[in-house]
Amino acid sequence: MQLDNLNREHMCSGHVGCPGCGAALAMRFLLKALGNKTIMIIPACCWSIIAGPYPQSTLKIPVLHSAFETGGAVASGVRAAHDIKGDTETTVVTWAGDGGTFDIGFQALSGAVERNENFIYVCYDNEAYMNTGVQRSSSTPYGAWTTTTPGQHWKRLRKKNIVEALVAHRIPYAATASIAFPEDLMRKAKKAKDMAGSRFIHIFSSCPTGWGMPSEMSVKIARMAVQTTIFPLYEVEDGLRYTINYTPKGYLVNEYFRLQGRFKHLTEEDLESIQEMVDEDWNLLLRKAGVALETS
Amino acid sequence: MAAQQTPTNRTPLLIPCSYLTTEGNKTGSWRFLRPRYEEKTSPCSAACPAGEDIGRVEMLTAQGSFKEAWETVMMENPFPGVCGRVCYHPCEQQCNRKEFDEPVAIHSLERFLADTASRYELQLSLQKLESKKQKIAIVGSGPSGLAAGYFLTLLGYQADIFEALPEPGGVLRWGIPLYRLPLSILNREIAQIRELGVQIHCGKSISQEFWRGGKSEYDAIFLGCGHSRSVPLKISGEDLAGVKDGLQFLADIRRGEVSALDGTAAVIGGGNTAVDTARSAARFGAKVILIYRRRRQDMPAFAEEVEMALEEGVELWELQTPVNIAAQDGDFVVTLQHMHVIGKDGQRKARVKPDSNKKKKIRVQHLFKAVGTEASETWYEPPKKTRGMLRLSNCVLLHKSREPTLVYGGDLVADIKSVAHAVASGKQAAIALDILFHEGLDAVRPRLQSCLVAEGPSISWETYIGGPRSLRNQRVVRYSDLNTDYFQFAPMMIQPRLLPEERFQSFAEINLKIGASLAIREAERCFNCGLCNQCDNCQLFCPEIAVTRDNNPRGRHINYDYCKGCGLCVVECPRNAMILEEELLCDTS
Repeated sequence: MQLDNLNREHMCSGHVGCPGCGAALAMRFLLKALGNKTIMIIPACCWSIIAGPYPQSTLKIPVLHSAFETGGAVASGVRAAHDIKGDTETTVVTWAGDGGTFDIGFQALSGAVERNENFIYVCYDNEAYMNTGVQRSSSTPYGAWTTTTPGQHWKRLRKKNIVEALVAHRIPYAATASIAFPEDLMRKAKKAKDMAGSRFIHIFSSCPTGWGMPSEMSVKIARMAVQTTIFPLYEVEDGLRYTINYTPKGYLVNEYFRLQGRFKHLTEEDLESIQEMVDEDWNLLLRKAGVALETS
Repeated sequence: MAAQQTPTNRTPLLIPCSYLTTEGNKTGSWRFLRPRYEEKTSPCSAACPAGEDIGRVEMLTAQGSFKEAWETVMMENPFPGVCGRVCYHPCEQQCNRKEFDEPVAIHSLERFLADTASRYELQLSLQKLESKKQKIAIVGSGPSGLAAGYFLTLLGYQADIFEALPEPGGVLRWGIPLYRLPLSILNREIAQIRELGVQIHCGKSISQEFWRGGKSEYDAIFLGCGHSRSVPLKISGEDLAGVKDGLQFLADIRRGEVSALDGTAAVIGGGNTAVDTARSAARFGAKVILIYRRRRQDMPAFAEEVEMALEEGVELWELQTPVNIAAQDGDFVVTLQHMHVIGKDGQRKARVKPDSNKKKKIRVQHLFKAVGTEASETWYEPPKKTRGMLRLSNCVLLHKSREPTLVYGGDLVADIKSVAHAVASGKQAAIALDILFHEGLDAVRPRLQSCLVAEGPSISWETYIGGPRSLRNQRVVRYSDLNTDYFQFAPMMIQPRLLPEERFQSFAEINLKIGASLAIREAERCFNCGLCNQCDNCQLFCPEIAVTRDNNPRGRHINYDYCKGCGLCVVECPRNAMILEEELLCDTS
């Protein structure tokens, strides 16, 4: 990544994200890589608020706020309009939360990528509906507390594997990224920008408010998610070629869970079964990537 | 109904469009914790008797700024070439990297910097402070005397060193074998001190009359005469002709007065002099037995030296003490008493007791005593408590109204006798005298207290003269304070050495020189605990874009108008060079 790209900011101070907001960092890194020839569609999500109330905007690029379920459809339209105007240079980006991607916006997203619309869809994933008060989504991980999975009724279902769902559409590019690995994130954004067709980036962005953790830990936690392979960093081209970008060694999930309030009810046995699920997913990914299984 | 209008450009766009940035929201008002840049103290610098700013030295070395790195060492210690070779490097024992993989080879890097300075004939650009009228005499040109002269001259005083022997250097010249410290290194570092303006008068021994009777032209006298007389064994036969003194033997070698030694040589003692004597004797062809009354782990000699002595074929007999020496046909028969461990004496050493009748005799051709040294004149020692006396960590100050102030330093007052401690002693004496002359005796202790590295006892010259180091917090950074996610495993460099069989052929230096690329790689391993190396993580990970680069010496500042106090910059700082504090409600700045 060139230094002048790193130095350029396309976002202003004074936004209203919570202290330590991972989504704000994710946006900052993404725009550093994409540059100002970008138009962004933001369906309802945290960023609808963070971007500022009318007449303010914290982003130095054009933003179109859209309805919750329409991220993919609006982007398709905006792309078509630009193409009619002869502007093929501008990158059209949908920036949606996990609710607008995994749940409410999934139909529009699936439709758009099935048509291989020429745009980038970025999901910044904070693993619940944070902006409306921490309701569970299909991105909420197994074991998590939310206001709709409270107390002993914590979520006993697995997180939807959204990247694999997109990979199944055989889109040109799908990747995961994390706010704790900015160089990797920016490289992937740059790579996506230089490609055509539907591109999908899934950014793990921690949420101190919703996850019950100190704000200063937000990057640390995101890094641990990668180190423990709870959220592996990888990219898939044309739905076929897998590349694992970071292969960690020997980190166990326990510490990651212990540092977050949303998991504090979990027992040792719960953590053991979660470790098994994580290992299972990681081994599945290794198989897809054609990497020999770890002999453990 | 009007004819249908063509759509588009005449219809106004009915979407509200933002026209302001969010910069009007001073989100800094949300903050209840405030991040701040604050450099702290690295554990190595706190462990260094001379208080060298090691974290910064390694940072500069890693950046390839060898001259600046060398001068940063020279600011606290005029002997990097000597200390990089002979110091027992307590810094490395405290290195935080030790808990990650292996410590940084600090001594090898110090040596590299001195060798680089020597190779490129770098000139020291430290500024002397303005001249002062006081003159100080220094007795003895060992490391403490030379260091005292160096720092006094930097402070603007005139310092005259008096040395009884024909050449300066004291124990560095006469007591450390050439395979550990080549002469050229010592000569260069002494020459540098001379160039600064220190007068060294060799062949001038000083008697007590020097300052008696108020006739002295000096305002203060630093006594750094060292310990040059061997402690007796107090057994019969130790004064037999041919029983040699270890320190004397080492000096004889330097004068070229030793030829081949045949047969077996026994060296009695467990300190560095004993080990140096044993290794030197081995180089003259003798089969050497080192006899020590305690165990190997109790030896005061540096473990690395003992290790190399054993590699070179020196035999170590532990738990043996001589009780009698007899002459027999030109040889010596030593009766050894076996000892056994009965407990612990203080922190380290084992307490031992004779093991009833277990005795044995050995017949040797050469016998060296090296069980310790003491001051050769009783007046070298500081008197018992008197008025006007100040016992400091590395020297003793005796202030008199009519006579010059006396400062006892170096080995005369040291608990641990090492070159680094001697340098610390000279530095402390120089600073203490400066305080005394300017602010009086009562100010000495509190002012010295303010230039401690961490909790001491090392003191920093740079802090005393108000350099950037004085702004650091004295808190020592621990391993748990670092964010080690940003560091990668890398083993410590391997010091290239002569092979044991090569070592016997001469007194050539055993540790070979290292190149710049190896030195940079090793310096890059340093965590630079508590120091900012401009990695820019604070700027990168700020969700508020409230960390901005600018031209101040730190390179960046925090914009508190927008900083929400999330603390990410503090946690993501790999080196713990930032701090998160409670916001003071009344503070409106």
